[in-house]
Amino acid sequence: MSEASTQYKKQDGKLFLSLDGKTVSWKPNNASISSVTILVSEIANLQQTPEKSAKVSIKFVVQKPSTSEPENHTFTFTSPSARAEQLAITGSLRKSIEIFKAQNAAKVASPADNSGGQPAALAIAQSLSTGARAEENPLSDSRLLANGDLQRSLLSSDPALSQRFNQAFREKPDSISIIQFAAQFWATRVHLLRSHAVEKQQSQGTYNVLSEVKPKNVDGTTKLNLSKEQIQLIFNQHPLVKMVYNENVPQLSEMDFWARFFVSRLFKKLKGEKVTETDSIDPKLDKYLNFDDDADRTRQLTMSTVPHFIDLEGNEQNHSQRRGNRPDVEMQPNSHEKVPILRVLNQMSEKMMADVPPSDVDLHTPAGMDEEKYKELQLRDLQRAAEDSRIILKIQNQGQLFSAEQGVHSSSDASTYAKRTPAQVISLIRHDVRSISAGKSKTHEFNLESGIGVVEEESSSDEDTGAKKRARVGSRSARTAATAQIINAVGQRHLHDDDYLSSRDTATSEQAAKMGLSKTVFDTLAMTHNTAVEFLHYFWAVFLSGNADRAGELEHLVGTLSRSIDRVQAVADSAEKERKAKMEKLKKDYEILAQKGKRRKFDPNSIKGGAKAVNTMMSPLVRAIDTAQQHYRKAYQAQSGQITN
Amino acid sequence: MNAIDGTDRHIKTDEAPPPSLLAIVLDTNPHAWAHLSSTLPLSSAIANLLVFINAHLASGNANEVAVIASHTHRAAWLYPIPQSTTLPTSQNGTSNGDMETNGAPTEPSVPENPNKYRPFAIIEKAILSNFAKLLDTTKESDLASTPTTLVGGALSLALSYIAKSTLLHSPVDPLATDNPLSALADSETMHAQRTPLTSRVLVISVSGDLANQYIPVMNAIFAAQRRRIPIDILKLAGDTVLLQQACDATGGIYMKPERPEGLLQYLMMGFLPDATARRSLVMPSAGGVDFRAACFCHRKVVDIGYVCSVCLSIFCTPNLPDNLCLTCGSYLSLAQAQTATPAVIPRQRKKKKKRVGGTDSATPGGSTPAGSGTPVHT
Repeated sequence: MSEASTQYKKQDGKLFLSLDGKTVSWKPNNASISSVTILVSEIANLQQTPEKSAKVSIKFVVQKPSTSEPENHTFTFTSPSARAEQLAITGSLRKSIEIFKAQNAAKVASPADNSGGQPAALAIAQSLSTGARAEENPLSDSRLLANGDLQRSLLSSDPALSQRFNQAFREKPDSISIIQFAAQFWATRVHLLRSHAVEKQQSQGTYNVLSEVKPKNVDGTTKLNLSKEQIQLIFNQHPLVKMVYNENVPQLSEMDFWARFFVSRLFKKLKGEKVTETDSIDPKLDKYLNFDDDADRTRQLTMSTVPHFIDLEGNEQNHSQRRGNRPDVEMQPNSHEKVPILRVLNQMSEKMMADVPPSDVDLHTPAGMDEEKYKELQLRDLQRAAEDSRIILKIQNQGQLFSAEQGVHSSSDASTYAKRTPAQVISLIRHDVRSISAGKSKTHEFNLESGIGVVEEESSSDEDTGAKKRARVGSRSARTAATAQIINAVGQRHLHDDDYLSSRDTATSEQAAKMGLSKTVFDTLAMTHNTAVEFLHYFWAVFLSGNADRAGELEHLVGTLSRSIDRVQAVADSAEKERKAKMEKLKKDYEILAQKGKRRKFDPNSIKGGAKAVNTMMSPLVRAIDTAQQHYRKAYQAQSGQITN
Repeated sequence: MNAIDGTDRHIKTDEAPPPSLLAIVLDTNPHAWAHLSSTLPLSSAIANLLVFINAHLASGNANEVAVIASHTHRAAWLYPIPQSTTLPTSQNGTSNGDMETNGAPTEPSVPENPNKYRPFAIIEKAILSNFAKLLDTTKESDLASTPTTLVGGALSLALSYIAKSTLLHSPVDPLATDNPLSALADSETMHAQRTPLTSRVLVISVSGDLANQYIPVMNAIFAAQRRRIPIDILKLAGDTVLLQQACDATGGIYMKPERPEGLLQYLMMGFLPDATARRSLVMPSAGGVDFRAACFCHRKVVDIGYVCSVCLSIFCTPNLPDNLCLTCGSYLSLAQAQTATPAVIPRQRKKKKKRVGGTDSATPGGSTPAGSGTPVHT
C-alpha cells in the first residue's frame, strides 16, 4: 500500500514509506539518478494539491537540523489511481508523524523540568530577538523617549527648549523624580526628538578632494595645505595615488612627494584636465600615467542582478551602435584625451555614491525577483486616471433621528420670543414692512434717505434730543458708536497681525514696548507662562490618569500651580513698580515744563503697562490654573467624603 | 521678426480688479425682528441694506448683487428672481446691464423717477415686493413650529448662485472637470488662474439656535472655504457659536454690533470692501472665536466631544446605542475614549486599594462622564 509511482524533478520513480514509519524514500526508475530519503522526524510541513484539481502531488517541507533553510520536495503522482495512492501515503505519513511528535514532546519536556537551563537560554534568545525588533525602528516613540543622549543633545542644540526645560525642572515639586519629569516633558515633544534624531543621522558625504585642494600662491612661492583627512580621502578615491605613494615615499620625503604630485601630469590626469605639452615632466611620476586608477572598479560593478532600466543586454535588439552608429562621445573607450573631465567626474561620482547607502533600494530591486515593484515604476502619470477606490459612506437620515429635539421649547431665545404670539409677530412685521410701501405711495418712490434716518432736521439738535428720545436708527450717536467699535476692532486685528507676522525672536522687545513693559519683565513673563503651561500639562496627565498611586504627586502639582499664580503676581508687581517709576519721571518732566511756563495736564492713563497689562495678558493662564484647581478640589471633596463614610 | 512685422504682439491683460458679486443672506426670522423692533425695526434695516447694496453696485461698474431671505420655513430669493424654466430666455440676464430682463419679469413697471438711478430702483422694487410676498405667504403655523431660521439652506442657495455666476463669467470652463490632473493640481491651478469674479457672502443674522443646522451650515462653510469665498457675518442678535466659525474658516469678517441702530455705519465700514480691496486693508475682527462644535446626537454645543473615526460625526456622549455611529453606522466603541476618574487621595495600604479603586469608578467626580465602567488605566 505505502508505495506509489511518482515523478520527482520530472523523473519517474517510486515513493515508499518505510515499514517502521521513520523514513520516506523515493527511488528513481532510472538508476543513474540518485534517490531521495526523507526522515519523518524532519518533516515540518506536508502539503497536497486540492482534491478537485487534476494534478495530484504532495509537497514535503523538510527542516534539517543542520541547515536553517527548509527544503522542499514535491512528488507528483502519475498512476491512473493517483488520488487514492496519494491519500493512502499521506494518511500513513500523518500517523507516523504524530507518533514521532508525541515521543519527541515527552523527550523535550523531561530535560526542561530537570535543568531549567534551556528556559534561561530561551529567555535570552527572546530578549535578544525583541531587542532586534526594536532596533528595526530606531525612531519609534518608546525608543526616542528612552534615549537620554539624544534628549541631551537636542537640549544643547536648542537653547530655548533647554531654557524651558531647566526652568520647569527647577520649579518642579520635589516629590517628582527627574525621570518622571523628563518622561512627562518629552512625551509631548516626541516629534522634536524624532526630527533631531533624523538630523543627527545625516552626515556629509565625501567630496572630490583633488579638485578641492588648490595650491595657493604666497609671496611668489606656491603653498599647499593638505590635511590628514584629505590625504586619507585621496588614497581612498584614487588607489593609484596610494600605490605611487607606497612605492616612492621612502625614497622621496613626504613633503617632496606631494609637492611633485600636485604639479605632475598624473595629477592633471586624475583630475580630468587635459595634459598639454607644456606641462612639466616628472620622470618618477610620469611612468604611472598609463596605469589604471580603477583598480577597485569591479567592486562597484558587482551587482547581483541588473535592473531592466539599465540592462543594456536587454536592449541589444535596439542597439543603435549595431546598426552602424558611432557611440556617443562619452561612451567611447579611450577618449580620455579628448574630454577627460567628463569621465573623471563620472567616475568620481560613482565612487562617492558607492559608499552611500542607497535610499531607493526598493525601487531598484532586480526585475526577476519582484516584477510587481518594477511595474510600480511604470510611467503611470501618462496613463488615464485610475478608478476611484473609495469607501462608500452610508449616511443615515439624520433629520429622522433628531426632529423630535427641535422645536420652540428647546430654544434659548424661545423664552424671549414667547412674549408675543405668532399672530402678533406676523401682524407687527407686516405692519412694519407695509410702512415702507406706505411712504412710497405718496411720492411713488421709497425715500431711502428718510428710510435710513440720516436726514437730520438739525444736526446739533440730535445731541439734545438724543438723551430724551430713545436712540433712533441712524442717529449720529449710534453711528459714532458704530465707528468707534469698528475702529477698535481694526486696531485689535492690527495688533494681532503684527504678532503673527513678525518672527518670535526679534519681536519680543517690540511686543513688550507695545504693551508698555520693559523687555526684562516681558521675558520673565514669557518664561513664567511657559513653565506654568508645562505644569498644567503635567497636572492634567496625572489627574486624568486615574492612578491612585500618583495622587501624592498630584497634590504637589496643585501646590506648584498655585505658586505659578504667585509668580505671575510677582511679575505684575515688578511691572507696576516699573510703571510707577516711569510715571514719577514723567511727572517731574512736566513740573519742569510747568516752571518754564508750558502747562500740560498730566494724564496717568497715558502710561501703559504695569500690573494691568500683565494681568490682561495672563488672564487666560490664571483662568486655566483656576479651572485645574477647581477640578482638583471638587474631586478631592467627593472622594474624601466617601472615605470618611 | 517683431521689428520686421511691426505689429505689437503684446497681450493686453486686464489690470482692473475683477467685478465683485455680493450675495446677501438676510435673516428674516419674524420672531427675532419683532423682538428687535424697539431698537431696529425691520423696515429701517431693509432701508439701510438697500443703501448698502447701492453703494456696492456703485463702487464697480460690473458689480452684482444677490439677496436671499432666510425665513423660518424656507429660504427665498429676493433678488434676482429665478426665471421660470418654461421661458427659454438667454442666460445672460445676470450681469448688471441686463437687469431689466431679470428683476422685473413679475412686475414690469418700475416707476420712473428722475431722482433715482434706474438699476437701483429696479433692485429696490424687486426686493421690497418679493419680501412683501414672502411675508404674505407666511402663516402663523410656520412661526409656531420653529424659533429659528433656515440659514443653512440660504447659504447653499448663495453659494450655488455664486458658483453659477463664476462659470458664466469665465470664457472657458475653469474647472475642466474631464481633466483628471486638475484634481491633483487643484491648489496650484486655482492660484494661477485669472479670477473672473470675486464673490463674497454677507449674512445678516438675527436668530440664535443655529446649532440645529450645524451639519448643513458646516458643509456650506467648507464649500465656501474651498472656493475661497469669504463669509461675512453681521450678527444683530442671537448667540454666536456657529457663524463665528464660518467667518474664521473662510476669512470673512465677523461683527456683532453694540449699537444695532448704527447698522448702516457697520455695513459701510466693515463690509463694503470686496476681496480685492481687503488685501490691502486691515479688516475689523472680533478677536476670540468660539470653536466649539455642536454634537450630532442632541445638537448641543459641546466642550469635549467624541468623534467617529469614519465619518467624523461628533457625539456628546460616549455611550452610543449598540456601539454604532449614529450617522454612518460603522462600529464605534468609545469606551476607550473615556478618561478615568481622577484619584486624588493617595491609597493607604495595599488592602484598601481595591475598595477605593472600586468606589472611584462609581464616583461622578470631576468632569468625567458618570456611569462609566472600570477606569481605564493607560
